[in-house]
Amino acid sequence: MFTTSRRGFLQLSASSAAALTVGASLAGLTGCSKVPAAEGYRLLRSGDIEFLSALAPVILNKSYPGTLAAEAPVRLTKALDTLIGTLEDYSRSQLVQLLDVMQVAPIRAVMGAQWGSWSEASAEQIEAFLQDWKTSSIQLKRMGYGSLCKLLTMCWYSQPETFVSSGYPGAPKKIPA
Amino acid sequence: MQNNNQRQPDIPVVAGIPDPILEGIANGWKVREAIEVSDGSLIETDVIIIGTGAGGGTTAEILARAGLKVLMLEEGPLKSTNDFRMDEREAYRDLYQESAGRMSKDGAMSILQGRCVGGTTVINWTSSFRTPEPTLNYWSEEFGVEGFSSAEMAPWFEKMEQRLNVAPWQVQPNENNSVLARGATQLGIDWHVIPRNVSGCWNLGYCGTGCPTNAKQSMLVTTIPAALDNHSELVYSARAERLIMEGRKVLGVEVTALGHDNQPSGKRFVAKAPHVIMACGAINGPALLLRSKAPDPHKRIGKRTFFHPTTFCFAEFEQVIDPYYGAPQSIYSDHFQWLEVSGKVGYKLEVPPLQPGLTSVLLLGHGAQHFDDISKLPNLHAMIALLRDGFHPDSEGGSIELASDGTPIIDYEINDYLWDGVLRSWLTMAEIQFAAGAKAVRASHVDSPWFRSWEEAKAGISQLEFRSNAFTAGSAHCMGGLAMGEDQSRCLVDSHGKYHHLDNLYVFDGSAFPTSIGANPQLSIYGMACKQANKLLETIKASV
Repeated sequence: MFTTSRRGFLQLSASSAAALTVGASLAGLTGCSKVPAAEGYRLLRSGDIEFLSALAPVILNKSYPGTLAAEAPVRLTKALDTLIGTLEDYSRSQLVQLLDVMQVAPIRAVMGAQWGSWSEASAEQIEAFLQDWKTSSIQLKRMGYGSLCKLLTMCWYSQPETFVSSGYPGAPKKIPA
Repeated sequence: MQNNNQRQPDIPVVAGIPDPILEGIANGWKVREAIEVSDGSLIETDVIIIGTGAGGGTTAEILARAGLKVLMLEEGPLKSTNDFRMDEREAYRDLYQESAGRMSKDGAMSILQGRCVGGTTVINWTSSFRTPEPTLNYWSEEFGVEGFSSAEMAPWFEKMEQRLNVAPWQVQPNENNSVLARGATQLGIDWHVIPRNVSGCWNLGYCGTGCPTNAKQSMLVTTIPAALDNHSELVYSARAERLIMEGRKVLGVEVTALGHDNQPSGKRFVAKAPHVIMACGAINGPALLLRSKAPDPHKRIGKRTFFHPTTFCFAEFEQVIDPYYGAPQSIYSDHFQWLEVSGKVGYKLEVPPLQPGLTSVLLLGHGAQHFDDISKLPNLHAMIALLRDGFHPDSEGGSIELASDGTPIIDYEINDYLWDGVLRSWLTMAEIQFAAGAKAVRASHVDSPWFRSWEEAKAGISQLEFRSNAFTAGSAHCMGGLAMGEDQSRCLVDSHGKYHHLDNLYVFDGSAFPTSIGANPQLSIYGMACKQANKLLETIKASV
């Protein structure tokens, strides 16, 4: 999908603050963001789904997959797809850039994720990656961390099947007249 | 630990509630979805109102009852009582801007704002305060706003309080609110009962997902039906794309019909009227004027955009709080609000309802710690501090810019002035929570541990480091961006809400506020819109 000379790679490493935006435009040049959405999705591509599904068990911890079991990744990523699709242009493009960057291995490595593919990364590696982004001095990483955590937890804990994790007894029943 | 998951609290079944919108439509109201309007057609009317929230709804009723033909344009969908099932997923998707995921430019602030017929009044938590007197005085002194003294505004507030049944909440506050009252009492901090715009409230706790019982006196069940009963028309899923202008006159509005996916359908139509009123909020309003390239000699469109930047502090209690049930906001304290009017930032203390989706976001973070926090939900309480921005030279709020597709971007930074208030507010809230008997308290900052005592919290909170995106700064109140006042170098609309640089364009909503309010803004918007709409009516009558 993307190859780079060693020289190009080193230039990027010199300033990882710029890597997210540079990475996004490179990802765009290599056609990464041109990849069509996965079947049944409006916006997320199969690589995004792999990425978000890899993050989910680490971010959501013991609540995941919970009673949703094998259905959990689909339920979560479909909810994310809908939510991201309703964001206005600016926020949506920022998020799509972030997702693009996470698809391009060399750029991803600069941003602290050194594995070949997201499904190969261990829970410990992903945890270390998230911790790095959470406490980073680089605003873009903190923004990425905050946005990913907010979106995933919102889409997860509003699913009735997860109420058992939060102890929320649920809303009153409504019977329309 | 998965606690209380077998608990079955005694909560009522909501049944037998009529849907006044479906009934009205069945009885012949003129209500259309924008894609039903023929492509390229022209609607001519007496008055166009863009936006159907607090400002638009109030204005529509007043003008329609006076006999004017009003066209209400609303970007959001039409949802009503039967749709309100107290489900966060449906509510955020159907009733909120960007599915409740609206953020500031750097992602550091989360913005809850309505996007539906009735606007934010459909999803707010019903707190109804008159504009505080020091705020009104500040507008007069700093911006030359005329006719907005406390005494001059009182009759307008009174009128709207009667219209929307505003009264202090008579029922025992829920446990989440009681924590604020109890802790404050312990510390000698004054607190009061919140006035709410409800009629026959069931005390369920789901104001934020659309009132399922029609008790909340939102625009959806009050002023909008009244306008529709009086020969007005509502077109929803209709985005005001740009104003059509000629010289100093607005001729009409170019409207994009949105499809069911909220995206432009490709269909457009034009609405024309001698009077155009903007009531489309502090984010979309300035964006509409920027897209329209409205005259703006001092480059003030979208400047002085204000939130009440809101900080959160969580507390864990031994007893069950059930923070998702019961009237969400019934107790407040202004003890720290007016210590100085234009010095250090003041703040109002309230509590938020804690349904699980929203709570998971406010708790911040991920992994084992986050799971541990959310699994305590039934025993959690949260307090919020709403920072009063806009009263100090270092307190200019944010600004609205346009993305490449013409949609708004909200640039809003927490600067040193506000950060000082953030830290002070966390300390205040933690002290009150411990005084109320909290076992542990945690500020909504990714570095904050759970503090086990007030002494521990006092030392720990002061050490929390400022990093954008590391703490929750939310807002449910969008104000400013089209400041009202007679000082034209700083203000865009005059004291009657007329746009300074156009003859027949009016702004009757929170975007005209020259500062934040220092209180939940809905009643400030109702009172102002009521006053402005009646003035406009006088002007229209005098000219015929």
